[in-house]
Amino acid sequence: MIKMETPKHITIFHGPQHPGITGNMSVELDLIGETIQKATTHVGYLHRGFEKLIERRTVIQAFTIVCRICVPEPDPNEANFAMAVEELAGIKITERAKYIRVMVLELSRLSAQFLWMAGQSGSIGLYAVGQWAIADRDLILDLFEELTGGRVYHMYVYPGGVRRDLPNGFLDKVTDLLIYLKERMNLYNDIFINNASFKNRAIGVGIIDKEEAVANGYVGQVLRGCGIKADVRKDAPYLIYDELNFEIPTQKAGDVYARALVRRDEILQSINILEQVVSKMPKGDIMIKMPTHRKFKLPKDDTWVKVESARGEFAYYMAGDGTEKIRRMQVKGPSLIHGFTLLEDLLIGAELSDVALIMNSLGICPPEIER
Amino acid sequence: MYSKIKNQFATPEIEIKRNDLSKVIVKRDRLFELINLLRLNYSYVTLNAITCADWIEDDHFALSYILTTEDRKHTMMVQALIGRDSAFDTISHIFKQAEIMERDLHEMYGIKFIGNQNLKELSLENWIHTPPLRREFDTLKFVNENLTFRDGRDDNVDTKVETKRLRALKKAKKLAEEKAKDDKNGNS
Amino acid sequence: MKWSIDIKGTLSPVSILGAFFDKPNTIAYPQVKKETAKGYRGFHTNVLSDCIGCSNCQDVCMNDAIDMIKTDMEYNAKNASQCIPRIDYGRCCWCSLCTDVCPPDSLKLDEEYMNVSKYASDFIYIPKNQ
Ligand code: SF4
Ligand code: SF4
Repeated sequence: MIKMETPKHITIFHGPQHPGITGNMSVELDLIGETIQKATTHVGYLHRGFEKLIERRTVIQAFTIVCRICVPEPDPNEANFAMAVEELAGIKITERAKYIRVMVLELSRLSAQFLWMAGQSGSIGLYAVGQWAIADRDLILDLFEELTGGRVYHMYVYPGGVRRDLPNGFLDKVTDLLIYLKERMNLYNDIFINNASFKNRAIGVGIIDKEEAVANGYVGQVLRGCGIKADVRKDAPYLIYDELNFEIPTQKAGDVYARALVRRDEILQSINILEQVVSKMPKGDIMIKMPTHRKFKLPKDDTWVKVESARGEFAYYMAGDGTEKIRRMQVKGPSLIHGFTLLEDLLIGAELSDVALIMNSLGICPPEIER
Repeated sequence: MYSKIKNQFATPEIEIKRNDLSKVIVKRDRLFELINLLRLNYSYVTLNAITCADWIEDDHFALSYILTTEDRKHTMMVQALIGRDSAFDTISHIFKQAEIMERDLHEMYGIKFIGNQNLKELSLENWIHTPPLRREFDTLKFVNENLTFRDGRDDNVDTKVETKRLRALKKAKKLAEEKAKDDKNGNS
Repeated sequence: MKWSIDIKGTLSPVSILGAFFDKPNTIAYPQVKKETAKGYRGFHTNVLSDCIGCSNCQDVCMNDAIDMIKTDMEYNAKNASQCIPRIDYGRCCWCSLCTDVCPPDSLKLDEEYMNVSKYASDFIYIPKNQ
């Protein structure tokens, strides 16, 4: 739409059907030439009302819905939900369940990172990388299929433990896959991370200020990309992360390329964590005995739990009210702040062709903005 | 820190929930004073979220501001109870990200945040009913009024009723049989 | 802007050509079918000679996908209500909570997951007796 009073300005919608947009959302861009003057995020194509639905269901029934809050990586949601319910109800889970949960969380982080790699490379036209990354992600999904019975929505991390025990020979398969993925990472380094065309596009684009990042509550790679060692797994360890050895990769520059490097290193760290978990996996029960769904009641109390997802801190607020239903569950993912406060800021002055690049590197995912 | 907050704000409720999480409930008019104190003196510099829970039976919303320290090791939940129809002040002049959170809450609960310029609709376009996350909004009623269910599922049987009916039938049959037997015996 | 040639960055992506000699990751789908993992959550099956018609499955299903209906199939003699579950696959999310609560373990999820039909009414599915 060309504004007649100021004929230099053009307003266009980037999304929701644009391939360079990260999901069902759109950005309204005000342009002069190729340069963006003003950006406004629009959501609302995907509102499913999960938070309201959960109020009508018993705790156990609500568990099947939380994984749908985030499509690329449902497991942080399940882990959060289970952790919040366990904390309110005062349940302690077994050691083996903790290890299996960590394994599932890390596998899902890996799969989300590969999906990001596909999106990020696709946003600048390196489609071969995208196809390879999706193929490699599929191998992880195969593992999930075997473990949980579902490829994308696992519904596996259950309040009180996990739902199924590991199938025979599962750990060997994980080890094999890790060796394969480690090898593949060298290839991805060659064709994607060190690729001159990616470097030229990404270096110096979408720079985020360090002070602002902390004050505005940005999370994940956005913080780590500007040199802050932020990671819930280290800051407030949950499950067994305090017993594991791993590093938090950081970069100084704060641009798209720095975030890509951080993500690349995180894949290696995840592989490292998975190796440790596989070698340490204890024996024992996977689930404690839970009451049936009409008898399982939460006390009148509230809590705030968080885990580290592939895109940063993912937190839940949960309040019980003494009945078998949950009074309130509020989801706080990284995308709400990244998609509005940060993106609208960052796009000002950027080029039109960089929008997809920047959006992908921030990890914005609309399903969790509008739950 | 806790004792100082206790003295200064006369709050009865400080709850230490976990090693990394505490919760303070203050009066609503002193909430921002406490947030500022925590922010300036105790380095709770990040506002992570504003959450809201509707306690309709006590007639208030519990609005919690989730603050995290600069090293992200400790989280503080600062809670205030506000009336279900009252307006509240915005905090977006201190925390920029609060603007979008308040916009979200305004849409879902209908809380008016005075001073927030950007309280337009977020994801519910042209929504004219009660804000959906308020407890008085009944989803089932809304669905029954506005949507139709698929047909072909009307032959559902209430098993409790059916079980009772079958049991009664069986019993009646048994009784009848016994009676028939008795009659037979009596006749012969 | 100073412009310098990034030799390594320009040459290293060429290694992608090596992939021409790799075995493809894909399978020739209609001829070769991928095997579904054991324990995949596909369609429901119900052992009618075990089902006791307790409607626990209907109670736990949060999507209201399950109806208890009467059919002319042969049931378990102990089936108290003489009803069996029927599932609306327009609503089911394959969470398998219903199979978890089934007391005699008669309701199960199968590896099969394909149902192609012209008619929407075929989404309403009576679990196969297995
Ligand atoms: S699998 Fe889940 S959604 Fe489907 S019928 Fe069973 S309980 Fe309902
Ligand atoms: S399938 Fe299982 S839970 Fe459902 S009615 Fe039959 S016995 Fe009960």
